[in-house]
Amino acid sequence: MKERLEDFSLGKKMIKQGGLQKIGVVGAGSTGKEIVRLVARKGIEAVFVDISEERVQEVMKLLNEQLDTKINRWGLTEGEKRAMLSRIHGSADYSILKGCNIVIEAINSKKPGTSLEERKKVFQKIEAVVSPETTIASNTATLMISEISSVLKHKERAIGLHFILPIDHVKVVEVVKTVSTSDPTINCISKFLKMTERQMVEVQESPGNINTRIMVPLINEACAILLEGVADVAQIDKTIKSSTGLLNGPFEMADTIGLDKVLKWMENLYREFGEIRFKPSPFIKRLVRAGMLGRRVGEGFYLYKDGKRIQKKGNILHLGRSI
Amino acid sequence: MKIIVLNCGSSSIKYQLFDMPSQQVIAKGLVDKIGLKGSLIDHEREDGAHAILEGEILDHKQGIEYVLGVLLSEKYGSIKELEEIDAVGHRVVHGGERYGESVRINESVTNTLEEMIDLAPLHNPPNLDGINAITELLPEVPQVGVFDTAFHQTMPKHSFLYGIPYSLYKKHGVRRYGFHGSSHKFVSKKAAEFLNKPMSELNIITCHLGNGASIAAIQKGKSIDTSMGMTPIEGLIMGTRSGDLDIGALFHIIKKEKIDLATANTLINKHSGMLGISGVSSDMRDIEKAAEEGNERAQCSLKMYQYRIKKYIGSYAAAMGGVDTIVFTGGIGENDWLTRQNSVQGLEFMGVELDKSKNTGMRGKTMDISTDSSKVKILVIPTNEELVIASDTFEILDKGLDKL
Repeated sequence: MKERLEDFSLGKKMIKQGGLQKIGVVGAGSTGKEIVRLVARKGIEAVFVDISEERVQEVMKLLNEQLDTKINRWGLTEGEKRAMLSRIHGSADYSILKGCNIVIEAINSKKPGTSLEERKKVFQKIEAVVSPETTIASNTATLMISEISSVLKHKERAIGLHFILPIDHVKVVEVVKTVSTSDPTINCISKFLKMTERQMVEVQESPGNINTRIMVPLINEACAILLEGVADVAQIDKTIKSSTGLLNGPFEMADTIGLDKVLKWMENLYREFGEIRFKPSPFIKRLVRAGMLGRRVGEGFYLYKDGKRIQKKGNILHLGRSI
Repeated sequence: MKIIVLNCGSSSIKYQLFDMPSQQVIAKGLVDKIGLKGSLIDHEREDGAHAILEGEILDHKQGIEYVLGVLLSEKYGSIKELEEIDAVGHRVVHGGERYGESVRINESVTNTLEEMIDLAPLHNPPNLDGINAITELLPEVPQVGVFDTAFHQTMPKHSFLYGIPYSLYKKHGVRRYGFHGSSHKFVSKKAAEFLNKPMSELNIITCHLGNGASIAAIQKGKSIDTSMGMTPIEGLIMGTRSGDLDIGALFHIIKKEKIDLATANTLINKHSGMLGISGVSSDMRDIEKAAEEGNERAQCSLKMYQYRIKKYIGSYAAAMGGVDTIVFTGGIGENDWLTRQNSVQGLEFMGVELDKSKNTGMRGKTMDISTDSSKVKILVIPTNEELVIASDTFEILDKGLDKL
């Protein structure tokens, strides 16, 4: 016997505290998937949009595998996994985003060059299905939110929300306000970050924010040291990790992010600032052209086998191949 | 006097409406999945009327508001107006060193509880949410806090301190507090009544065996030691919690498995205990079934569970210089004859003799399951933590203890 709870409310008006019920993510690449996991883990419904139904199925399979890995590594229980998966739904159709309190764009463009136009299109498609109150956020770190959101009817709802990988471990999120971003939008994001136990770092709109702008020259300089033959890949990573307490060295970091993505960051920042320190190292360009994009494809600065990172045996200046 | 008893968890609220001092339960229920999808109230009235009400419940305040709405409703209600509610008693998990007894809640109590959130980061915040919700919804109604830790505040220093620098006790309150206090208090009192002896003449060991489990040594009515410590992890092996563990082993696990502190916490709290050892389940019935069918890990986990209880019984008998009665309570303690039997087996040397047929033949009521000649009485007593909360609330308000 099930009845509606609302019929039993007290005479007074029930005050809705406006808790967030549903969060959308467009683009379930590595970052998108981690956001979906974070949201579902905190008890909020998570929906995502990707390019095709096949891709959606593949993402669900990958999420399932990632959660199994978490269980095997003691971070999650079977029951928690089932609860999380019951809150996650994907589709190739944007209408799944209806009713979302926040939609986060996290696309990963495979095309060379800037993804600005693609992100604009995504923003338009999101706005076409959500209500006027929905906050629309972009996870971009190097493009300008003002430019992406210029296509929106309601520009006050746009905001930058840059999650830094690995999202499970990094507790800060860079939040980028544009001149149009409204207070309700900021409040909505602040509530979301509270619910997901993240700390907000509010930054002024500027390409690269804090994290990417410091990481890019670090990776570039590491490449310069490598090209000059001063030290090898593992030595450079080891020294930086041990001396600064960073979780990953510059090459490990670049491989994990994906060298194609790193290259885009560098190009975006170089275009914006014109500073030589952001100019992509020719070595990164060579690796990207050779398809050595990092951990995701099994090879970058390092080789990856069965989830393990292995140092390349050949001459790194020949991309690790012996000649 | 009508008293509502509230037990607020992170996403649930258990409630009971008592008439005191008759101890009659007028209505009870559970608010579940607060702030999540599919939230509901499962409500039951004393005449058997039962309802499951579904709808959006965003937080504890809204949940409690609906509970009051249901209690007032024509269809499932038990009261005609909110003014009939005379008091609200709250279960509060951690009272720290400040609260050795139940207290009437006022602003200074809630401030202190907020300061103590660090000691029970998972449990105290929802308890406080419940208190704040009642303060807003029923501002005139007196509230009483009943603490899980309070009963054990009588432990002497040599039993509650850890062997670590004393400054850490002073600085961060690192010491053993113990939990399940309301249950240990209730069943020890019942045991004395059952044996018709004054508390002051009894050494009692109470075993609260449920999903969480702890043992207490109660000398002359006072808890002098208990198996849970600063957190509910220490002591007995539980459904999914490890119980006693060499801290060095944990450091080794963290290093070898390359996990962070949050994950280590999950490992010890949710993947360990009977579930982790048996690989079958955290539910005793499933494990016993698997053990019967020959599952060796299930058999081993049962032996470990029972052995750990026996070790604690022995050590508490030593601590008190003898024991007059051993009490079993909690879901497993009340219903699982095998656990009771094997936990006291071999203790005949200290006068503990179980009557096996009495032990297997009982369920759900207070009973003596030792032989007539047994020097130590073994009792099974169903616990009732809600009643302790209702009684303490009644006592404080009825006697005007809060005004002294």
